[in-house]
Amino acid sequence: MTTVIETRGLTKTYGTVRALDGLDLTIPRGGVYGVLGPNGAGKSTLFRILLGLIRASDGTATVMGGGVGDVAAMRRMGSMIETPRFPPYMTARQVLRWLALEHGVAAEADIPRWLERVGLTEAADRKVRGFSVGMLQRLGVAGALLSKPELVILDEPTSGMDPPGIQEMRALIRSLADDDGVTVVLASHQLLEVQRVCDRVAIMNRGKLVREGAVSELTATGERLRLAVRPVERVAEILGAKGARDGAAVLANVARAEAPALIKALVEAGIEIDEARWVGADLESVFMTETGHQEMTHAG
Amino acid sequence: MLVDAVRAEGFRLSKNRTALFWSLAFVPIVTLVIGAITNFVLKGSETKILGDAQMPAELKEALARGTLDMGEALVAGAGNLANPLVLLFVLIGAATIYAGDYRWETWRLISARNSRSNLLLGKLAVVAGLALAAMALMLVAGVAENLIKAAVFERTLTFSMTGEMVGRFLGFAGLSWLRIVQFTMMGMLAAVVTRSLLAALFIPLVVGVAQFFSPQMLMPMGVLPDAWLSVLINPGAAAEAVQAVIEGGARAAALPDGMALKAWLSLALWTLGPLALALAWFPRQDLSKE
Repeated sequence: MTTVIETRGLTKTYGTVRALDGLDLTIPRGGVYGVLGPNGAGKSTLFRILLGLIRASDGTATVMGGGVGDVAAMRRMGSMIETPRFPPYMTARQVLRWLALEHGVAAEADIPRWLERVGLTEAADRKVRGFSVGMLQRLGVAGALLSKPELVILDEPTSGMDPPGIQEMRALIRSLADDDGVTVVLASHQLLEVQRVCDRVAIMNRGKLVREGAVSELTATGERLRLAVRPVERVAEILGAKGARDGAAVLANVARAEAPALIKALVEAGIEIDEARWVGADLESVFMTETGHQEMTHAG
Repeated sequence: MLVDAVRAEGFRLSKNRTALFWSLAFVPIVTLVIGAITNFVLKGSETKILGDAQMPAELKEALARGTLDMGEALVAGAGNLANPLVLLFVLIGAATIYAGDYRWETWRLISARNSRSNLLLGKLAVVAGLALAAMALMLVAGVAENLIKAAVFERTLTFSMTGEMVGRFLGFAGLSWLRIVQFTMMGMLAAVVTRSLLAALFIPLVVGVAQFFSPQMLMPMGVLPDAWLSVLINPGAAAEAVQAVIEGGARAAALPDGMALKAWLSLALWTLGPLALALAWFPRQDLSKE
């Protein structure tokens, strides 16, 4: 099997709202796959259908070769969607023991290892009612991985985490894919994180797939000339719609052939150019373009 | 797998000390304490009560010295295990089990890896075990209370258990267990339909009270207490009728014709009906709205 998730014409309607609108998506086995989209794009609805929490209005979805609800197939998958909550009277260790029993796996001996991998060893015997959102996320991830699944679905796995925590989670996700051979499917609003950790992404908008591909391919197109210049406001004025502020620099949306003329014109206009280099499009700009949002400009 | 669901639910309940205390320990402790206090108070007033001609004969008999048969006490205790206090407090634990995943939003953690019917039946199995444990603790409290009684009133303890008594004990205990599980079944249905812990607790209570008063409500409409309708809507009265059948003798003979069949059907209806509805509803439920 080369795909872990496949949807065909997947549709979910809530009254008159189409949360998913005939979604065709194929997620290949291996690596880290990001599902991106603005609020309301249908990411959570997609995950909820894949986990069997809700039923699709139309279309089909297969997970690990089986239909949603095929317990044998679903048992090869782990998941954490939205901020996980746990019975507050349990400790982190007890939560994992409980989930291992629920999942029908003899993972008692693995619990300390998973607690360590998500950085909760010291909090292992504390009741979860006192956990921060970040700690709940870590515990949720450990719970999703406890059964050694072949596929893991994680919804906003770094939500509520501090920067070191985000870095650790990123390393864990990469390690799962690279060392353990687990296919990780994640949704996140932190596009820089997605760009760093994902191999492929799907960009959704209004319940539809609008772009899909390897991160390296998506960011290779749309390269722009980054000009570190003074005064930056003046250059932004000169470039008009072809430019976007990026801190103390300007990203010029020009073809390579136009660059020498542009630089010459800027010098003649008395602009001091500290640096000029070509940069690829980042995932954020691809995301903004594909979802129809205005690119954010920075005040510098 | 059903066994996974049962083991996991049992483990989770074992860590919920609050639910365990209220559903298992509270009633036996209260029963024991009140029983002990009553014995000491009666002992303190023994001379006065025995010398007062207006005091009830049962009370005087209770004070009279003699033997206390623990076997008889056990059988009698088994017949009273599904009393309203036990029903109410076991319901607290049952509601926590049935509605806990809605309250703590944990369905999303477990529902993908097991069938929904297994998850619900796993909860039912644990509630059935909880009912058994509550009954066992009530019996232990009853034995302890009788030991205190024997000590206070200087009675000789005996233990007789004939084959007939064993049969009655098992029959009473089995019926009490069925009655408790049946009562909590309404909590299961309420939890699944409303997704609310409070509903799982209060709906069975309100329905139970309505059932208790149903004969008085139906009588003015010309429906007698032994009529089909009256028995079918009142599983409490049905349980009493079945208990009379188990006890036999004059109590069983006093039952109207066909009452036992009506009573069994009433118990089956109130046990299997909510279960079937919950099992039909739950697999179709949107669990993203916990």
